[in-house]
Amino acid sequence: MFLALKEIQHEKLRYGLITLMFILISYLIMILMGMMLGLAHENTAAIDSWGTQTVFLSKNSNDSLSQSLISQEKRPNYRPDHMATIGVAPAVAKQGKDKENVQFVGLNRNEFIFRDKLQLTAGRKAQNNREVVTDQSLKNKGFKIGDQLRLNSQGPKLKIVGFVKNAQLSVAPVVYGSLTSWRQLRSVQPNIVGSALISDQAMSTATAPKLQHYTVKQFVNKLPGYSAQNTTFTFMIGFLMIISLVIIAVFLYILTIQKLPHFAVLRAQGIPAKNLISSTIYQSLLLVAVGAAGGILLTLLTKQVLPEGLPMEINWLAIAGLSLALLVLGIIGALLPVRVIAKIDPVAALNQ
Amino acid sequence: MDDAMIIKDVNKSYGHGVGRVHVLKDVSFSAALGELNLVLGPSGSGKSTFLTIAGGLQTPDTGQVIIDGQDINKLSHQQKEHLRLDKIGFVLQSYNLLPYLTVQDQFKLVDRVKKAGNLSAGQLDQLLEQLEIKKLVNQYPSELSGGQNQRVAIARALYTDPQVVLADEPTASLDSNLVKVVGQLFQDLAKQNNKAVVVVTHDLRLKQFADRIWDLSDGKLTQE
Ligand SMILES: Nc1ncnc2c1ncn2[C@@H]1O[C@H](COP(=O)(O)OP(=O)(O)OP(=O)(O)O)[C@@H](O)[C@H]1O
Ligand SMILES: [Mg+2]
Repeated sequence: MFLALKEIQHEKLRYGLITLMFILISYLIMILMGMMLGLAHENTAAIDSWGTQTVFLSKNSNDSLSQSLISQEKRPNYRPDHMATIGVAPAVAKQGKDKENVQFVGLNRNEFIFRDKLQLTAGRKAQNNREVVTDQSLKNKGFKIGDQLRLNSQGPKLKIVGFVKNAQLSVAPVVYGSLTSWRQLRSVQPNIVGSALISDQAMSTATAPKLQHYTVKQFVNKLPGYSAQNTTFTFMIGFLMIISLVIIAVFLYILTIQKLPHFAVLRAQGIPAKNLISSTIYQSLLLVAVGAAGGILLTLLTKQVLPEGLPMEINWLAIAGLSLALLVLGIIGALLPVRVIAKIDPVAALNQ
Repeated sequence: MDDAMIIKDVNKSYGHGVGRVHVLKDVSFSAALGELNLVLGPSGSGKSTFLTIAGGLQTPDTGQVIIDGQDINKLSHQQKEHLRLDKIGFVLQSYNLLPYLTVQDQFKLVDRVKKAGNLSAGQLDQLLEQLEIKKLVNQYPSELSGGQNQRVAIARALYTDPQVVLADEPTASLDSNLVKVVGQLFQDLAKQNNKAVVVVTHDLRLKQFADRIWDLSDGKLTQE
């Protein structure tokens, strides 16, 4: 430890540059991770905000929320405290010149999602079928409380009375309205009551035997593009980790090789190899730890300055996991040249 | 007198085939506690080779090196390390200090590895004073002259209070005054602190301090 710190202190530039590189590597990985989580969040924020655990769609919906139509006969009786019918339809929201792709979600005002789960940030909840609340991201796009929204060119005209947060579905802002408006929007048969049943409890298939049962995990993975996106990101991060391992290991290796003459002197003086090895590992860990910490800091900063439209999510668990993985990479990188240290020929120092 | 170090019939060659050089030929040597041994020889005669074998840094092709009654080539790697740290003080020929430690820290490093039996703060002060490097404790080796570096290296080697002191050209870059200081220091170490001191050099100015003088030439070691 003594040796490691003194060396860094004396060779500030060299260690500064190496640390900078480690910082950039961890920054790159963390920012990618943040974007992956951010995008995932925009896919599912609304579903998460409802505390969803179980979803029922119609049996012939081909796992697609937008294709699912539930009829009166197939819907079981349920208690609205933990189960709610929703009607989902993609739509274009127009207000004056502003146009925005949204997901319209129709709710019953006496069911748990409307009653308990809408996270108001401004205004109030709807009081009748002609009023809606929308995701607050629309606020930044020029929509205001009191605006009259037109959904699609022929659709209903609705008044914005409030904004809520965490209301995104399939990377589009949600407009929460009534099931009546939804029926108008989709122009469905009179016996159709909604697209899905949502529950914030784990329910069995038997709850609605005539419908298709999904756990929230199954359901989310069936959202269009969701799992493909995540798989892509996961692979990218995975490859990045492998490449980082190689880069980190190579740098630590070169660093150690350059120190061999010093080590030879120390060995000649009788300083045991194990001291040199532990000092090397300690130093590597320190560099990687500072690198990870710097990466975290930069990531947080980036999140601050990133424009609203770019999704990025800070998940401390993921960051802790990544940092740990980087530390492990550092240890591996530091262990590679240990054999070289153990085998140093101290005579080399004398013959110089 | 006690022989702290005995070398018996050591042979050492480098290289293979026609390029093979037989550097040490049946070399035998002994150094007693309380005695300063001086090994003289021209450049390339094998002085460093001799000293590194004596200190267990290299193994001879044949022959024995016995330090404090132990045949060091029969010791394990770790035991040898221990022996070097505890019993042997090495002053290397060149490049013998860590560039990133101040003079003071070179000693602190030893404290961290060998916790007991090092010189006391007072003794170290006295030694640095004697070698005229007391004022340099906060400098880095790159900020010292060759002779200053050499004296720090000497102090560093003596800091562990070793029983055997092995020095390779310790006066190479010192002027006559300092040669006397270092010669006297080594003599005092032998006489007053009862250590076995072995100095290899081609610096004849050290002759006056020696108890025994050896000659190394053509791979043969003879006592004068
Ligand atoms: N590792 C080695 N490989 C091959 N030859 C070597 C090696 N070390 C030393 N030699 C050769 O052995 C001979 C003795 O070298 P050594 O370093 O012991 O001489 P020296 O007496 O210490 O010289 P100097 O006074 O210049 O320090 C030289 O001819 C040298 O070239
Ligand atoms: Mg030499």
